Amino acid sequence: MTETMATNGTTTGSRGSRVLGAATLLGLATLLLFAFGLTEADIRLHPTTGEEIGQFDAVRLLYLHVPLAVFTYVAFVLCAFASAGYLIRRTPWFDTMAHAAAEVGTVFCGLVLVTGSIWGRPVWNTWWEWGDVRLMTTLVLFLMFTGYLALRRATVDPRAAARRGAVVALVAVLDLPLVNRSVEWWENRTLHQKSTLGELKIQDLTLFTLMLGFLVFGLVLAWLLLHRFRVGWLEREDAEHGIAADIAERRAAIDEGDVDAAVGEGT
Amino acid sequence: MPETVVDDLTPSPSRPQPSRRRALPTLVTLLVAAAIVGVLVKTLGDATLVFHEVDAAVELRSELGDGRFRVVGTPLPGLVETMVDGESAVVFTLCSSGTFADVVHVGDPAELLQPGVPVVLQGAWTVGSVPGIAGLVAPADDGWHLRTDHMVVKHDNDYRVEEGRQADIESCSATG
Repeated sequence: MTETMATNGTTTGSRGSRVLGAATLLGLATLLLFAFGLTEADIRLHPTTGEEIGQFDAVRLLYLHVPLAVFTYVAFVLCAFASAGYLIRRTPWFDTMAHAAAEVGTVFCGLVLVTGSIWGRPVWNTWWEWGDVRLMTTLVLFLMFTGYLALRRATVDPRAAARRGAVVALVAVLDLPLVNRSVEWWENRTLHQKSTLGELKIQDLTLFTLMLGFLVFGLVLAWLLLHRFRVGWLEREDAEHGIAADIAERRAAIDEGDVDAAVGEGT
Repeated sequence: MPETVVDDLTPSPSRPQPSRRRALPTLVTLLVAAAIVGVLVKTLGDATLVFHEVDAAVELRSELGDGRFRVVGTPLPGLVETMVDGESAVVFTLCSSGTFADVVHVGDPAELLQPGVPVVLQGAWTVGSVPGIAGLVAPADDGWHLRTDHMVVKHDNDYRVEEGRQADIESCSATG
């Protein structure tokens, strides 16, 4: 990874990442085609009246919302592992990975809230439901990782930022089991349904499209994570290079006997 | 010129600067922490947010009194649109686990209010029969009804799509 970035200078792209990016774009287009074109709307018949009931076309948001939620979990779990790794090993790789995963995870989490809200309006009759435990625990998760990102910017000392961030990430990730299990533990405090895949209440093209959604959003996560990690790594290298250049410059000034320049006076 | 010490010229790690540049992230961090606390207080502190099943709401009727609560159940076929106190309303019967309750929902109902699809209603028990009771297929007609003004739909987790497939609906009675 380091070698690749060093050979590329200031770019975060590589042949592999470009192939991954192209596959991601193609996958997204295919997913949209299946989700909004080829799959059927959710229409069922009432057993006694024969009336059509269901979610109708609103069900199509399933193929975006659910994969986004799953890969939000993946990103934040990755952030937690990398944060633990940083606290144990204190190497920049772990910190850069934790920061990248938290940032991408926060974007995914925001999109989960937005797509959920758009889906909820026609299906639930509300954009947002205060008190719904799944919504609340997800909002808390989003706020905690937003706080994580703000906290990292609150100090100029990179080691302090990494250390504090790692601790916050390990606390924030404890919310994930609450988000995931809330529909089982507090069934009477949420509008969310229980797991569809767990009960196998999905099949055929609907199941295929959902699986395609998982694959595509997995690619999106991988692509974003790769580039965000490389940006973070380049920023770190740039900062270290700047310090090394300053040292070299000041040593050169001493060699020339220019003490004022070496200590930065009169500049 | 004063004598200058030049033993260690290595730039030291940046020291935190009490600048405005760092004040904004700190402020954001504090605001986020306050928001988290606010969300938790709002979520955990409101007892009306628990959904009672219809059978539990009927059982707890005297205990609930005229206080507001949430009730979840499945609307039976037969939704009657009417006017109550000059406002549009929809009247129907809600059921769960074989127990029925008549409902007068004042205001706009949910777009996807459908017989067989569970709803969560917020309101209170009220004495008296519902208007338009003759239009209901299987009214509870027990001298009480639920007067509600907040309705959300709680859909199930079934995404099996099949031409002409019948919905799996909790059966409250032969009409259910």
